[in-house]
Amino acid sequence: MISNDTALMAHLLRRAGFGANRDELEHYLEMGYDGAVEALLNPTDPGNMPDDLIRRYHVDQSELRDLPGSAAYWMYRMISTSCPMEEKTALFWHGLFATGYTKLNQARSLLNQVEMFRRSGLGSFEELLVELSKDPAMIVWLDNNENHGASINENYGRELLELFSMGIGNYTEEDVKECARAFTGWTLGNAEYMAIRAAKDSIWPYGRIAWHFDYRDEDHDDGEKTFLGETGRFNGEDIIAIIVKQEATARFVATRLFQFFGADEITEAGEKIIEEMMATYFSSGYQIRDMLRTLFHSGFFKSEEARFARVKGPVEMVVGAVRMAGNYRDPYLGIESVSNTMFYMGQGLLRPPTVEGWHEGAEWIDSGVLVERVNFVAKELSNVSSPGVRSIIDRLEAGADQGVLDPSELADGCLDLLGPLQVSDETRSVLVEYASRHGDLDLNGHQPGDQAEQQVGNMLRLVAATREYQLA
Amino acid sequence: MTTTKHEKSLIVIQLTGGNDYLNTVVPYGEGKYYDSRPAINIPQDKVIPIDGRYGFNPSMGPIKALWDEGKVAVINGIGYENPNRSHFRSMDIWHTAEPDSIGKEGWLGRAIRDLDPQSENVLTGINFGRGLPRALGCPGVSVASVGDLDTYGLFPDVQDEELRMFTLEAFSRMYGGAAGRDPVMELLGQTGQDALQGADVLRTAPAMYSSTVEYAPDALSQNIKSISQVFHAGLGARVLYTQHGPQFDTHSGQLATHAKLWGELSGAVSCLMDDMKEHGTEDDATILIFSEFGRRIKDNGSGSDHGSGGVAFLIGGAVNGGMYGEYPSLAEAEQVEGDLRSNNDFRSVYTGILEDWLELDAAPIVNGQFEKFDIFRS
Amino acid sequence: MSTQTKSTGIVLDYVKTVGIVNNGYNGRGFANPYDIAVGGDNRIFVLNRCDPLRAAAIRVGICNLDDDYLGEFGRGFGAGDEQFVWPVAMALDSRDRLHITDEHNHRVTIYDTAGNASAKFLSHWGIPGAGDGELNGPAGIAIDSSDVVFVVDQHNSRVQKFASDGKFIANWGSFGSGDGQFNLPWGAAVDNDDNIYIADWRNDRIQKFTNDGEFLAAFGSSGDGEGQFQRPTSVAVDPEGFIYVADWGNERVQVLGPDGSFQLILRGEATVSKWAEAYFESNPEEKAERDISNLLPELPAHLNTPYHISSQTEPFFWGPVSVSLDREGRLYVAETNRHRFQVYQKR
Repeated sequence: MISNDTALMAHLLRRAGFGANRDELEHYLEMGYDGAVEALLNPTDPGNMPDDLIRRYHVDQSELRDLPGSAAYWMYRMISTSCPMEEKTALFWHGLFATGYTKLNQARSLLNQVEMFRRSGLGSFEELLVELSKDPAMIVWLDNNENHGASINENYGRELLELFSMGIGNYTEEDVKECARAFTGWTLGNAEYMAIRAAKDSIWPYGRIAWHFDYRDEDHDDGEKTFLGETGRFNGEDIIAIIVKQEATARFVATRLFQFFGADEITEAGEKIIEEMMATYFSSGYQIRDMLRTLFHSGFFKSEEARFARVKGPVEMVVGAVRMAGNYRDPYLGIESVSNTMFYMGQGLLRPPTVEGWHEGAEWIDSGVLVERVNFVAKELSNVSSPGVRSIIDRLEAGADQGVLDPSELADGCLDLLGPLQVSDETRSVLVEYASRHGDLDLNGHQPGDQAEQQVGNMLRLVAATREYQLA
Repeated sequence: MTTTKHEKSLIVIQLTGGNDYLNTVVPYGEGKYYDSRPAINIPQDKVIPIDGRYGFNPSMGPIKALWDEGKVAVINGIGYENPNRSHFRSMDIWHTAEPDSIGKEGWLGRAIRDLDPQSENVLTGINFGRGLPRALGCPGVSVASVGDLDTYGLFPDVQDEELRMFTLEAFSRMYGGAAGRDPVMELLGQTGQDALQGADVLRTAPAMYSSTVEYAPDALSQNIKSISQVFHAGLGARVLYTQHGPQFDTHSGQLATHAKLWGELSGAVSCLMDDMKEHGTEDDATILIFSEFGRRIKDNGSGSDHGSGGVAFLIGGAVNGGMYGEYPSLAEAEQVEGDLRSNNDFRSVYTGILEDWLELDAAPIVNGQFEKFDIFRS
Repeated sequence: MSTQTKSTGIVLDYVKTVGIVNNGYNGRGFANPYDIAVGGDNRIFVLNRCDPLRAAAIRVGICNLDDDYLGEFGRGFGAGDEQFVWPVAMALDSRDRLHITDEHNHRVTIYDTAGNASAKFLSHWGIPGAGDGELNGPAGIAIDSSDVVFVVDQHNSRVQKFASDGKFIANWGSFGSGDGQFNLPWGAAVDNDDNIYIADWRNDRIQKFTNDGEFLAAFGSSGDGEGQFQRPTSVAVDPEGFIYVADWGNERVQVLGPDGSFQLILRGEATVSKWAEAYFESNPEEKAERDISNLLPELPAHLNTPYHISSQTEPFFWGPVSVSLDREGRLYVAETNRHRFQVYQKR
């Protein structure tokens, strides 16, 4: 039966990745849990689908002018990466530092921001905030290009404190103003022209022009500022150095990491882990990687309480099912219709609804959305011509006595290979009864797409449609 | 579920991409129009005159027929101050009734919440098309997005009908488990049951509908037909939404594209009105047609670029037909950066619809008090 | 200003830019152009590959060097007559018949453009597969002086030779990086002696063959130096034997001598086209800001790749996917991501 090691590894990979098929699980199991945590937290060559192939076949993903192709481009990376934690981390920061296409009309620069999350998302939070403050997509998103030495625009300064670091209640209105002053002059190249193009959604005359950071010394307010009790002629980096020292910042970062990688709800046990992560934050010099290492090694994370304690987000739902099915590993005509599905489920990549990101957890679920979620994964995982499903069939056959599975073996086998997934007794009995419809399944001599294989596909469809599959 | 056949419904058709006002309701009596549009004007002898100054686009013949019956309200110069010329942002503004900050709730989502505060009917609001427009989004409000009415529901890709029913039955049992487990599992169970129920009811709509009206095969007409089927099935749907486009973004080759789009739209609206006449429901539904912005006054040699001030339409048996509001001046001094200056806030039209048609308190939905036109027959 | 470097035997002068992005479904402008063919009457045919949102409008646009937009043909996305899914390349034969490849429909579509304001559909041919004469992902196409058609059969790693009606004659090549082998080959060209040149895309080189497929030479290696390539997509050869290469991954065009020696690099120097001027006339507020902008910016280190530089530097080539020549020594470079082509004149 399912070993606890396997179940725990699957749990880790649902959190530090997009779930795992059995080959991946075995690969990580060979490393042992600690080795797997290190491998996930230290991404190397992702081996993802190469840009030259993507650009050759998908002109929209070469130009990255429009949203659907640009979201698909990121999705390809999520589907094909062998470093899933790198993408999961980028997705975390994308939700937290939520920057949206709908104001920018500039997908290339948003994808550059995502690349920055890959580059810096597991390192020092201080460096990450500096990079974020220099990110041109963020600058336009929160109007820092309108933040001038002579007349400040507080938007970025405020959200940096409220939504990106300390949270409300830990600073004064005066701190907001001083913070904004420190970021005057932090803008993007050709800021005025780029702003008018963004505001008009102008692609004229020759498509979009991507953005880069520009520091305008003459527009920077170099005067003395007092911020959180410290005084000096602070520039943006100085402000960030003060921000990251605050306990409120440690709590904020630890809490958000916990809720994304640990559990939707913070229980008493969870609160203790957050405290430990805060201690790591300070002892490591604000290293995100170390905080996550603390989480993944905690007794809480490894306990039953943390398993399936998150509602899968739409991106996890879609990418997880596609990776499990092994589909779209080569440039695929119509790939944007796959990534659009995430948007229909309420989470369009590159288009968080507001600067507050998505409302996660139970708020992912409503009846219209549930139909989309169930239909997508059910279709993806019931298709017996998909490589990942073929591999499941082969494993079921190899694990069966004489190639024959009785209904409960079929149900349990599918639950195991799509997870392992823990389901309630009621759910399992429905699955077994469903499997009984055709009696025992004889996989001897099965041929692609034949009746025996379809029976597996039908079982996988129903397992993918369970309540339990909705959880990570 | 309550069956509320004769409650008033709102049918919304969103024109995506920015419909060109000047070539929809054409100021053919003004030389300035022809001066500004050497490449894409509608010649005077092609315009369908409304009066001596204004006329409809030549492809709007069926709309003109409804106009002549007094069923078409044209709302001139609609928009908001400080116009935004970005598709997404301006559409967001229309959807959330919030021009100055990024709104979180859709105006129709709020309306649906107020129409059905206990969420008794999962079909109070329905979108026809994939992906929920922000107008319908509101926390706690579930709105179905129907891509294809004939296959709507769970497991549409299962071709074998017997297998599908068997699978749906299993699904129902899996989502119907005992109460008292954790709240998320409870929520999933309830939501799954709602989804099944909504799909079951929706699927009955085509069978409950018959009509002699034949809708054209284009995508809009088919969506409008689905709207008619659901509306006439008496399922209690109050807000039915669909969109047309995004080809309204006519930067190039505008004349041909715009004519095709309005040809399809006029045909679909005309069919729907005929359908309602046939079913005696003309006074039970009103159609709102809007777009995120109008287009620039001067053409660009082949089409027109993003502008402000646009036009909206309200069509239906309960509508007092006519021109509402003033057509904005084309004079340069009156323009906003080369665009028509809007003189009617879109939220005033929303207010009229909410108060005089859906009988709701408009202010909390549209974020303020707005004077409204007297468009609906009392 | 000239972005040419190290000109020895050949000089190319920038002439003009034609185009504007077309995000609609018809009319003036281009939508992700993938190839250009210039007719004897100097009509310019531009193949619009189109992004998925606009696939319903996949088409060939016709214009001329005077910026007149003359019309368009093709019936959009699909597998029916005159429809395309992933069109790649075009070639004109001696009778002004335009042959268009489609790497998804695995076929070649032929139009008659002679004496027509637009073009008349004639036929399409091609059977998917790996057997002789069957196609898997036809990409580049070239036609020799006898109207023999050479099709780059990318996924079969070979070049196939057909009579003008599609009747199979011969083929050569296999997967690999040795002489006469290919890795996802793309563009094709014929020289004055009817030799065949192939842009061996994923091997980062140009291979030259006799008309019968005998290997003659290979030019280039992987890299961004002179004479090196990153994923060359297209090749053209002028009457003197100079070889023009769309060095797509390096976002540039290179010219080699007849012996393969490096001659020069073009980085692109696009200017505001006539159609773009019309846009700015009706959008003066945008023009005003543009006029005070630096369109040749310095970029931070992490964006210092040809792709990123071109994404931020509008005058430079971005997605220079094809090089084409006319009979008067002009070079046309189609840019997928900029929806335009730049024209250069050989001195």
